Amino acid sequence: MHIDTLYLKQFRNYKQMGLDVDNTINLILGENAQGKTNMMEAVYVLAFAKSHRTSKDKELIQWEEDFARIEAEISRKTGPLSLEVIISSRGKKTKVNGLEQRKLSEYIGALNVVMFAPEDLNLVKGGPQLRRRFIDMEIGQISPVYLHNLTLYQRVLKQRNQLLKNMFPVPDHEQEMMLDVLTDQLARAAAQVIVRRFSFLRMLAPWSQDIHRQISREKEELSLTYVPTAEVSEGMDLSMIEEKVKEKLMQNRQNEIRRGVTLSGPHRDELSLCINNKEVQTFGSQGQQRTAALSLKLAEIELINDNIGEYPILLLDDVLSELDNHRQSHLLHAIEGKVQTFVTATGVNGVEHQTLKKASTYYAEAGTLRQVK
Amino acid sequence: MQYPAPISKLIDGFMKLPGIGPKTASRLAFYVLDMKEDDVLEFAKSLVNAKRDLTYCSVCHHITDTDPCRICDDKERDQTVVCVVQDSKDVIAMEKMREYSGLYHVLRGAISPMDGIGPEDINIPDLLKRLQDDQIQEVIVATNPTIEGEATAMYLSRLIKPTGIKVTRIAHGLPIGGDLEYADEVTLSKAMEGRREL
Repeated sequence: MHIDTLYLKQFRNYKQMGLDVDNTINLILGENAQGKTNMMEAVYVLAFAKSHRTSKDKELIQWEEDFARIEAEISRKTGPLSLEVIISSRGKKTKVNGLEQRKLSEYIGALNVVMFAPEDLNLVKGGPQLRRRFIDMEIGQISPVYLHNLTLYQRVLKQRNQLLKNMFPVPDHEQEMMLDVLTDQLARAAAQVIVRRFSFLRMLAPWSQDIHRQISREKEELSLTYVPTAEVSEGMDLSMIEEKVKEKLMQNRQNEIRRGVTLSGPHRDELSLCINNKEVQTFGSQGQQRTAALSLKLAEIELINDNIGEYPILLLDDVLSELDNHRQSHLLHAIEGKVQTFVTATGVNGVEHQTLKKASTYYAEAGTLRQVK
Repeated sequence: MQYPAPISKLIDGFMKLPGIGPKTASRLAFYVLDMKEDDVLEFAKSLVNAKRDLTYCSVCHHITDTDPCRICDDKERDQTVVCVVQDSKDVIAMEKMREYSGLYHVLRGAISPMDGIGPEDINIPDLLKRLQDDQIQEVIVATNPTIEGEATAMYLSRLIKPTGIKVTRIAHGLPIGGDLEYADEVTLSKAMEGRREL
């Protein structure tokens, strides 16, 4: 897919900005704090209707304004689409071809975006919540049903945690029974989430393994394992997984009441990455961790293509300079000619790859973007 | 601009209603000024009367002007089935269908620990009392298909099943007369889950 035009109004430091995008690779240069990342964020918001940087939508609206709007014309295999996201203090609206979408889960997926930003380099060595978020975002892009199940799970989890807190120190009979109900409900939602995560990782693994092998010049084997908190495994069917999740919750019951929080389930599950059978999180070098992160992101691009039949938009925010020459070439080589990409950098130094020579270059300055010929 | 006190009070009153913001409220208030006095009086009276004359049925907790309500009082209705709903509006929706001739029980809410609503805060204890009457043989749980509605349904089923009374849950899935292609993915997947053999 391809973004043809992009229009921002009162978004972060952009008062009003229109951009015609005619190239596959687009390089955005500029000093710090001029609007490079804001522009990347706008594309991200257009895809997910939320920011990767903040959970407060209000921050996206320009100072002293009451709304922000992002519009884009995109071309997909199935035809052109016009997309619009409006964020105001009263909430947000999304539109596809001018029609307002009733639910966010109906909007998400209209534009597919993969972002690679400096914080993603922590994907491997950072906390497990980063890897869970990675899994959830990526499945969410290709499966609205997953998004719904995940929201469902999170809501039941909140209810259950609140109940657990109310139960301390002496639970009454009604609360015990309600806990049974919420445990059932949670296990049912959890099973849906876990099954989808298993199948996602099964599809992602061969791609990431392949890519990692290439980047490491055939020296390293990357493997992905889902490490669940309940005793579930890949081959189990939905009802079996539900049963096992419930079993685990039952085992922890007293402990959970004491601590006032749900101790097992998809919100505590972990994705483990191994290189040559050694866990990268703990035993990998910094370079290995970065390579693994890069492999995962590149695998994701291939997987989306595999699932929906076209490549997503790639956003590379300030990461090229963080990668050494070899990894840089690999990345740029992998996307060349097929993935529309937006790249930001403070200067051309350190990003002199052949692919970038063919790029359209823009210069960001104080909330404007101008094309450099 | 400052409104004269009577009208700003009226605007304030309208704004207490759901779905009405300042703009709509002032439009309604100014409309009232242009209405005939009789109509305004009639309107005011019906507001007060609705509040004053309507109570909740002591049996099923549906809104009513007689106690017990007309549905509970109707001996023609099937006294062996009770349909449990969250809200009085749900009773009215069910009655529009004209296919159901059993009784109702209005919970007036759903269990939600996050909002501090437990089983005893909605009319569950009363329902249990009603069930001790041996006439009732089936409880149809028609709470909303939300997380809280679903949890309430599961709670009721756990509570009632041991008494030997049959507990059923209404189905959810595709709306009748709608095209499959217009259903959202989530509804569609629910409908797939609940498929049955022909």
